[in-house]
Amino acid sequence: MDIVESKVKDQLDVFALREQFPVLARRVHDEKPLVYFDNAATAQRPLKVIEAMDDFYRRYNANVHRGVHQLSVEASEQFELARDSVRRLLNADSVREVVFTRGTTEAVNLVAQAYLRPRLEEGDEILITHMEHHSNIVPWQMLCEQTGAVLKVAPINRQGELLVEELASMINERTKLIGMVHVSNALGTINPVEEVCRIAKKHDVPVLVDGAQATPHMAVDVQALGCDFYCISAHKMYGPTGIGALWARESILEDMPPWQGGGEMITRVSFEGTTYNDLPHKFEAGTPNISGAIGFGKAVEFLEETGYEGIVWQEERLLEYATERMQAIDGLEIIGTAKHKGPVVSFTLEGAHPNDIGTIVDHYGVAIRTGHHCAMPVMQFFDVPATARVSFAPYNIRNEIDIFLEALGKARDMLA
Amino acid sequence: MALDKLYQQVILDHNRSPRHYGRLEGATHSARGHDALCGDDILVELRVADGKIQEAAFSGEACAITTASASMLMDWLVGRSRSEVALEHAHFAQLLDDPELPDRPELGAINHLRAVSGFPARVRNTLLPWRATLQALERQQ
Repeated sequence: MDIVESKVKDQLDVFALREQFPVLARRVHDEKPLVYFDNAATAQRPLKVIEAMDDFYRRYNANVHRGVHQLSVEASEQFELARDSVRRLLNADSVREVVFTRGTTEAVNLVAQAYLRPRLEEGDEILITHMEHHSNIVPWQMLCEQTGAVLKVAPINRQGELLVEELASMINERTKLIGMVHVSNALGTINPVEEVCRIAKKHDVPVLVDGAQATPHMAVDVQALGCDFYCISAHKMYGPTGIGALWARESILEDMPPWQGGGEMITRVSFEGTTYNDLPHKFEAGTPNISGAIGFGKAVEFLEETGYEGIVWQEERLLEYATERMQAIDGLEIIGTAKHKGPVVSFTLEGAHPNDIGTIVDHYGVAIRTGHHCAMPVMQFFDVPATARVSFAPYNIRNEIDIFLEALGKARDMLA
Repeated sequence: MALDKLYQQVILDHNRSPRHYGRLEGATHSARGHDALCGDDILVELRVADGKIQEAAFSGEACAITTASASMLMDWLVGRSRSEVALEHAHFAQLLDDPELPDRPELGAINHLRAVSGFPARVRNTLLPWRATLQALERQQ
């Protein structure tokens, strides 16, 4: 089956969008068109990102914030422009509030170690939700081991929705931080972050949001959300791997001690003592991922040019169509049926293990994710060892869903 | 095509009706084979006497490839010693790595599973029951 779809210019020109992603033209396994449905694991990169990173290495590769020479000045300029793009993406007040990290995981670890650790006493509590990615569980567990604090988990329902009232009732004077995912990678659930932040504020408890799966799909305004920390990864939102950001309010960051020591994060070093650099550099020890940051900035520009309106429109259509068609399949169960959902469909199919489904549909050119999706407590809650998951990006089209469903049918016939 | 070879009748048949499936009463050795990443979780149980495996069984939940591999392995294990299992595990791992090598007669029907060498992501599944078996043999229940 070939990939065809009519253009709908008003909202989004999907074909023009696809043109920007060279990998989508690839053919796999005996010339089958690639159907890339593993966007929640990592999205593809548009030319704009690839070319900007290439351009950096070809024309002005140099270290940042160090040299007086022209290349270093250009590299520093582009690096800081990228930071401003991330600031715009999150509607942050100032670039001083945007710290580049290796990704969401590192951002969470930074907050755990530099913000929360010095404030924790034995018996204090950290509250997270049952649908967190391992990256928003394990750093807190490690912190609990280090300090004697206790990890508490707010429950979810069978649809995969957070029980906000239960969460609210679990907040007490020992609660020192709430960590929650904005959009669940395993279930697709979009959480009511604003509501949780409002509740947390009444108790004076800071909220950290794992936004890795949110920025690819929706406009995020950290000020409107009312959170205290927001963590993102570039590669989920069409940028490169190995770079992400932590946003936190300036007053909080000012109060935090540095996390890692090294170059870049200092203003003066002697053996008697060291003074630390200003925000955000205080938290960026060592030569940063310069090309990554530049690519990250271009990914933000890509999202701005494409527009969230069109992205949401296309993704909602795909989600609706896939859900409708998949629900009609005998023995197929969709895991995660929240009312507010991102473009993710996790599922199990009777008589077919997710691993085998993944291998078989791959042979028909369809790339999907199978396994625990780095959210093993979610698998335990739904009592499944693993799920298969399709996740969409705005460059995906309905016809690809048909190809996937045909391949899924073959998988089922083969394994039956 | 490679996919048909991977999901060939022999393998699918072992998946649909795995041999030696269930708990083993009177087991002397056991180990769990768990691959969290893909969700495979099996229990291998053995009854060893006089230095040889007298009975073998597996239970749990796993993908078709792991299930077929476990089923074939349990069949093969009966009458083998620990050192034989270790030796053939090494040979089997090598066969999965190098499609050019000839089949190994000692492994019998297990040679069918060499079809996974075209699917690097699935080699781990194929070896999981072997690893659990070796682990079981290393410790007394």
